[in-house]
Amino acid sequence: MSSELFNANPTVFSSARSASNTSDTESDGDEVEEIDQDEIFGLIRTIYDPEHPNTLEELRVVSAPQITIKRNHIVVEFTPTVPHCGMSTLIGLSIRVRLLRSLPSRYKVDIFVKPGSHQSEHSVNKQLNDKERVAAALENPPLVDTVEKCLSKPSPILQLI
Amino acid sequence: MEATERLARTWIASGREEELVQIASDISSSKTTLLNLVKALGEYLKRAERSPGVELLSLVLAKLAPDSLNRPAVRTLANFYTDKLDDADTIIPALQGLVTLASFPTFGPAEATTVIEGLLRHVKMKALTQNHRFKVFSIIDSVMANQREVIKGMGKKFLDGYVSLCEGEKDPRNLVLVFAMDRVILIEFDISERVQSLYDVIFCYFPITFRPPPNNPGGITADDLRLTLRSVVSATPLFGPLAIPHYLDNLAAVGRPAKRDILETLNVCLPVYGPKIARSFARKLWNSLKLEVFQPVDVNTEQLALKTLQTLINTIYASEEGNESQTDVQGLARDACEECLTILREPEKSQARPATRVLCSFMATTPSVAKFTVSQAIPHLTKLFINPDEVTARPATLVLLAQFIEAARDAQDKDTTTELFLAPYKDEVLGALSSGLKAHNLRLPSLGGLKGLVTTQRLLTDQELGFIVHHIDEIIQDHPDRFDDISDGVLELLGSIAEVAPQIVVEQTLPILFSGLPDVAPAREAAAGRAQAWKALSYLQTLCTEPQLFDTLVVRLTTKLEHLTLANTLQVKVSKKHADVAKYLERLVVRLFKIFVYSALEFKETAATFLEDPRLLQAAAQCMTLVVRSLPQLRQEPYIKSLLLALSNGNIQPIIRRSLQNTEGCAAKHLRVFLLPFPKRLDVTVLRGCDATLQGATFREMQQFTFVAVIVNRKVDELEGFLEGFSTKFWSNEVLNAELSLERRHWAIVTWTWVYQVFSDASINWDAAKSVGLIPGHDDILTKDNHAVTRILYAQKYVKVMLPQTISGSQDTSGGWINLVAFLVALAGLIKSAPKATYLGELPSLMPLLIRGLDLPDPQIRSNVIETLLAAADGETPEKSLVAEHASTLVNAMLKNCMAKEMPSSTVRVAALQYLAVLPSIVRYDVLHPYKTQVIKELGKALDDPKKTVRKEAVEARTIWFKYNG
Repeated sequence: MSSELFNANPTVFSSARSASNTSDTESDGDEVEEIDQDEIFGLIRTIYDPEHPNTLEELRVVSAPQITIKRNHIVVEFTPTVPHCGMSTLIGLSIRVRLLRSLPSRYKVDIFVKPGSHQSEHSVNKQLNDKERVAAALENPPLVDTVEKCLSKPSPILQLI
Repeated sequence: MEATERLARTWIASGREEELVQIASDISSSKTTLLNLVKALGEYLKRAERSPGVELLSLVLAKLAPDSLNRPAVRTLANFYTDKLDDADTIIPALQGLVTLASFPTFGPAEATTVIEGLLRHVKMKALTQNHRFKVFSIIDSVMANQREVIKGMGKKFLDGYVSLCEGEKDPRNLVLVFAMDRVILIEFDISERVQSLYDVIFCYFPITFRPPPNNPGGITADDLRLTLRSVVSATPLFGPLAIPHYLDNLAAVGRPAKRDILETLNVCLPVYGPKIARSFARKLWNSLKLEVFQPVDVNTEQLALKTLQTLINTIYASEEGNESQTDVQGLARDACEECLTILREPEKSQARPATRVLCSFMATTPSVAKFTVSQAIPHLTKLFINPDEVTARPATLVLLAQFIEAARDAQDKDTTTELFLAPYKDEVLGALSSGLKAHNLRLPSLGGLKGLVTTQRLLTDQELGFIVHHIDEIIQDHPDRFDDISDGVLELLGSIAEVAPQIVVEQTLPILFSGLPDVAPAREAAAGRAQAWKALSYLQTLCTEPQLFDTLVVRLTTKLEHLTLANTLQVKVSKKHADVAKYLERLVVRLFKIFVYSALEFKETAATFLEDPRLLQAAAQCMTLVVRSLPQLRQEPYIKSLLLALSNGNIQPIIRRSLQNTEGCAAKHLRVFLLPFPKRLDVTVLRGCDATLQGATFREMQQFTFVAVIVNRKVDELEGFLEGFSTKFWSNEVLNAELSLERRHWAIVTWTWVYQVFSDASINWDAAKSVGLIPGHDDILTKDNHAVTRILYAQKYVKVMLPQTISGSQDTSGGWINLVAFLVALAGLIKSAPKATYLGELPSLMPLLIRGLDLPDPQIRSNVIETLLAAADGETPEKSLVAEHASTLVNAMLKNCMAKEMPSSTVRVAALQYLAVLPSIVRYDVLHPYKTQVIKELGKALDDPKKTVRKEAVEARTIWFKYNG
């Protein structure tokens, strides 16, 4: 069973406490709270890794500094746990779906593998940022199902076994 | 004789029940005998198609009392039936007869032998249907229950026959019976020569994969079978060598429920199979269980696997515990430990955690294994920690170390005499942890570990505790800014130290915290200073609940007048029911009181500013209430007396006047709080005085009214006259808010008549309606603690009276739109604070009203309505939903309410989004499906809300709708 996993023994980091307790005051004023790095990180940190019962945050696949926002353009960078990780595209797709559903449409989102962290970096990036390809992937019911599980439950692949 | 013959003949012709009953009762009343019946049946029993005769005999037999047959009769019948077993025609009625016969007390050993031998020889199970096979097993079962020695005496002959009878049995009803017999056989019989064949017929069922059919005859569940089978497989140690490989093969192959079943079975079996077998299979078991822990299917399975592992270790090593000299552990525990330690060389990897869990589970097994584990793991981790090459792994190392410490602590708790596992390594561990405190990223895990150490009883000396506290103090002092994110951990640790040794904390930590407090409250502008002071205060608040610490806190804080904190701490203390609150009465209350009176009388500048801070006043009042509340009756008396004196002498008058002008009624509140704890001893004269005071003051403030409400609450009967005058005065002043809260609960009916009148007056009905809703709401002034006269279920009663009125009012369109609105407002307020059960019956008629309420402009009302809808949604299912018919309206209304452009209040937006998120779970898919695209599209706009909290809800709601697929 372990041979089927791309990375059977990844490094697990303790996750930081949620950053939300800094400014959780219930102010009903008119000031606009802009969407920031932490909020986007908050959206994707709880996605589960397809192979392990850990979140992307725990595996340090995503982190707040790897997210940049410029007006209506968001760039998310993620780091696969191993360079040959075949799940990278799936992870990226999960991030894309989560952001697609959770961000206002005015944002353009680009998702990249951290440069130098993956064997087929180029093709993964291409797959993740090509509108047509993403749309095609989301037409594939089993794939959508797996993504859905990543977004809600730990480790769909382990559950299939 | 003739009668019997006639009856028998009639039965064979007709097959009716009456003849059977007749014959049976004839035999019981000795009108005829069984012999007569047999004679009467003579020809039928001899004929070619003999089964009706035998059947009649069996049926009659079943109707007779168990003791009505004597031994010879039973023997004759037993022989007769046994003879009939070899005939396919008669076997079925014969079995029936034997079932009855075997349960008779006169059924002796000789008959037992005959019957069992007959069964084994003649019965071909494959030819019988389920219920007949059941009869066969029932016969064996009752023989086994009554004549076990006979069957035991038959030895291998019986076992062989039994095995062939059981072979291929598939029906769950029969299996439950078979398993029960299997267990008896395995435990009591000599099966040593037939282990293999018994194993074959029993383990072919393991693990149970039975799924009950839809109508489930017999009502047997998979769990029933599983449990009975488990008791069978764990019945004899002889199965050990055969069973364990079987378990392990299956463990790797089967799905989750079966996996759990196997693990649980192993758990039960291993102690029975014994250490010898456990040891011989140790390696294989470990390999399989390891897989379940390191690649867990789910948390439950992992837990079970760990438990099984513990059982295994316990089984293997329990017998060796006797000899103390043997400190070196050999065999599985050693191998497993070493294997885990190899994994632990890389503590930051994900496999390190299960490895730690395995080792921790070892600690809860036998003492020698636990000691061995500790002696291997702890030095390994501490060494790893100090190794400069492994700096990056340090946080993970500490996390694991903390887990070990906790496991060691938990494993040890029950036993207080033995040597502590951790004792030999405590210095190294303490060293690692305290050096961990120095690096920022290591602090959290070290704090956890230290807490584990501190909470281990008898482990640390006071000196060592002092050492820890010293380190923590350094953290607090050195990095005030970077200290925030770990403050919880620090406080937790200090708290647990304070439980063990409060003195150390008092001496070392509190001075630091107090020194952080300025003597004079910092100016409002000095934000940083204030924040600093606040931080220190909040730490103090968390820490100082231990009596000794609290003492210090009180002394220090009263001089600094930071009552806010004090009040909070007091609150915590009172809720923890500490006994020492009472003794602060003199010291604290008197002092506070003096301060207030003093400052009110002398119009010093400082005092004025002091009084101006309403929060401070409130906190002081709260302090006093809390203290006085917890006093025993006896001690309250003198206090009340002096206070009353002060009141009647008018000493306090200046305070009220002065503060009313200056402090927005806070002093009145203060006064009110003073009065609250009194049992009913107030004079009307006092009231009059208060009345006068109130008259003099402005009537706007809510505070005074609650004050009056408190008094009125006590004196309902005496004050009727007073009240009337009072309320008319109010009326003229049109101060309705407080008015309504004043009469809260006395006469709900009166209230509604009043309100009803009020509703027709358009100018004020809005306010009136709102306050109706306020009444049953929760507040902390009139509570039991304050000795208010709370009538049981007053809120429910109130709602019960008010609700139908409001509903009928809102449905009555004659009063025009204005009236209608008023009623809707009242309804919204009312229903929000009413318990769900009170309006559950009304819900169908309420629903349209609530939906109309969503159009009201006041955001507060809208959020009330939505909250009511949310509460009503709780417990609804798609199959039985009240909102289904309103789905379209609700969806549209909610979508409108969650847009920042249309709804300025973020509370309403959040509530609306929450409701949208709930809708899919309470409305049938086919009803809601048409709105899916619209909702998802509209929610897309809500994602761009200016408020973070709203966006969060929007994301959640939208995700739910995305996943909403039939």
